[in-house]
Amino acid sequence: MITLSGLTKRFGSTVAVDDLTVDIGPGRVTGFLGPNGAGKSTTMRMILGLDRPTAGRALVGGRPYRELRHPLHEVGALLDARAVHPARSGRAHLLTMARSNGIPGRRVDEVLATVGLDARAAGKPARALSLGMGQRLGIAGALLGDPPVLMFDEPVNGLDPDGVRWVRRLARALAGEGRTVLVSSHLMSEMQLTADRLVVLGRGRLLADAPIEEVVAGAGTEVRVRVPDDADRAVLTGRLVAAGATVEPDGPDALTVTGVTAERVGDLAYERGIRLHELSAREASLEQAFMALTADSVEYAATPTGGDTR
Amino acid sequence: MTTTTASTHRPGVTPAHRTDPLAGAVAAEWTRLWSVRSTWWTVLAGVLLMAASAGQLAIYVANGNTDDDPLNDAGVVAVTDVVIDAVGLTQYAVLALGLLAITGEFTTGTIRTTLQCTPSRGRVLLAKALVTGAVTVVLGLLLGAVGVLVAAPVLGRWGTAPAAGTAGDVVAVAVYLALVGVFALGLAAVLRSAVLTLTVLFATLYIVPLSLREPDIAVLDRIADAFPGEAGRHFLTGDTGPYPAAVGLLLLAGWAAAALLAGRAALRRRDA
Repeated sequence: MITLSGLTKRFGSTVAVDDLTVDIGPGRVTGFLGPNGAGKSTTMRMILGLDRPTAGRALVGGRPYRELRHPLHEVGALLDARAVHPARSGRAHLLTMARSNGIPGRRVDEVLATVGLDARAAGKPARALSLGMGQRLGIAGALLGDPPVLMFDEPVNGLDPDGVRWVRRLARALAGEGRTVLVSSHLMSEMQLTADRLVVLGRGRLLADAPIEEVVAGAGTEVRVRVPDDADRAVLTGRLVAAGATVEPDGPDALTVTGVTAERVGDLAYERGIRLHELSAREASLEQAFMALTADSVEYAATPTGGDTR
Repeated sequence: MTTTTASTHRPGVTPAHRTDPLAGAVAAEWTRLWSVRSTWWTVLAGVLLMAASAGQLAIYVANGNTDDDPLNDAGVVAVTDVVIDAVGLTQYAVLALGLLAITGEFTTGTIRTTLQCTPSRGRVLLAKALVTGAVTVVLGLLLGAVGVLVAAPVLGRWGTAPAAGTAGDVVAVAVYLALVGVFALGLAAVLRSAVLTLTVLFATLYIVPLSLREPDIAVLDRIADAFPGEAGRHFLTGDTGPYPAAVGLLLLAGWAAAALLAGRAALRRRDA
């Protein structure tokens, strides 16, 4: 359980995280979504006690991270996979972490096996690891203390498709065991496949905190209609706009219509005897929901007090 | 890659309450120090610096006594006097060991991992100080022994090495090096940069007290005596003025403790 209340971080005049209040609960994967610079990493760093909040609090299991005596048993985190000494082997890196929290050395070999790093890769200096192997090493470090709370910041960066699927399954499995799993990403498609719930940030502000279906539904439904005849299509477009819909061309003979139902589009076409080849309603994608949400946050940032965020 | 997680069945991780966090932090620090090759190179550099420096200073003493100029006759000296003079240069290898224990973490970003494992800033710094102190004491004994072994044969009949006095001086060298090593660590935690820390160390141990003595004004001399390098020198050479050797030791220990406290405050306040 991660509890953020009024969490705020300013760097000079820049507000990186702005009055963020949200609970991240156990037993599900919470997707932490936002464009680059939205404040996701800063929030995670505050949860881990690395950055001091300007205001507000971040608690893990009801306590501030800095007060934890054996934090690896309570929170596992992959923040920056490159936070490894370039000359130290991956195995020594994990062993150092394990020692600090009284975790036996054999657990290091267990997590190395879990993330699929063999003895040869784990023995290499960290600088010789590929981005993908570095990510796996970081995930191994997060799993070391078998913690009930896990945070992964952009875990699929640099992973091949196989690795991406593996991270997705891992996150789902960890949540399935009743753990709290927070995964940040700027990739909407990835979140759609991994997360149960979404916390969406834009310019440091909370834009949404809801089940993923709700976020998608909030963006509304769009209707696709294919009209083979050019003249008919122009007529239908006129009727739709008059009915209050927004119409955009979609390919050579199709229109994307928002603001009216598929039934209404069909009725309007029927009244004018317009021949249709396709009429379908589809839910907006997470990507569209996300665009709709963050479009507002961009407007917010255009006010004079707004600045560039970290 | 079909494995999802090894933790479905809760593997046998030692219950957290059984291990002391400070003991864990010290163990981690020990592993951290010796799992990079640069530590070994620094130790080797210290040994070579001591051998070269003690040898050279011993040659100066022997030559001074045998050339035609009676003004530079040092006469018979204690072998450890030469070794103590050689510490002036050798200590920079030991200082490097102390400051690299933390500046290396800032440059590579591993400080974030370290603080993630041990969130208490004071505990992190204390663990580093304990490991740095222990390693530099042992290294100091080794360096003192190397200095004696090199300087004694070069001095020949111009050097004396009474067993008790020599052993005492070698131990003093080890204690001095451990304290300046910890002083360097604390300073580096505040300044974060290796180059900046080395510059400040060079200034406080050598340049500033030397400049203060230049005009030969009593007040400035007293101020110079309070600097860590001077306090250490008074402790090592065992002079009785301006203060007893024990006061020099306490002053140096005070500098090391103050640097650690400042380092802890900086680590607590700043974002990692």
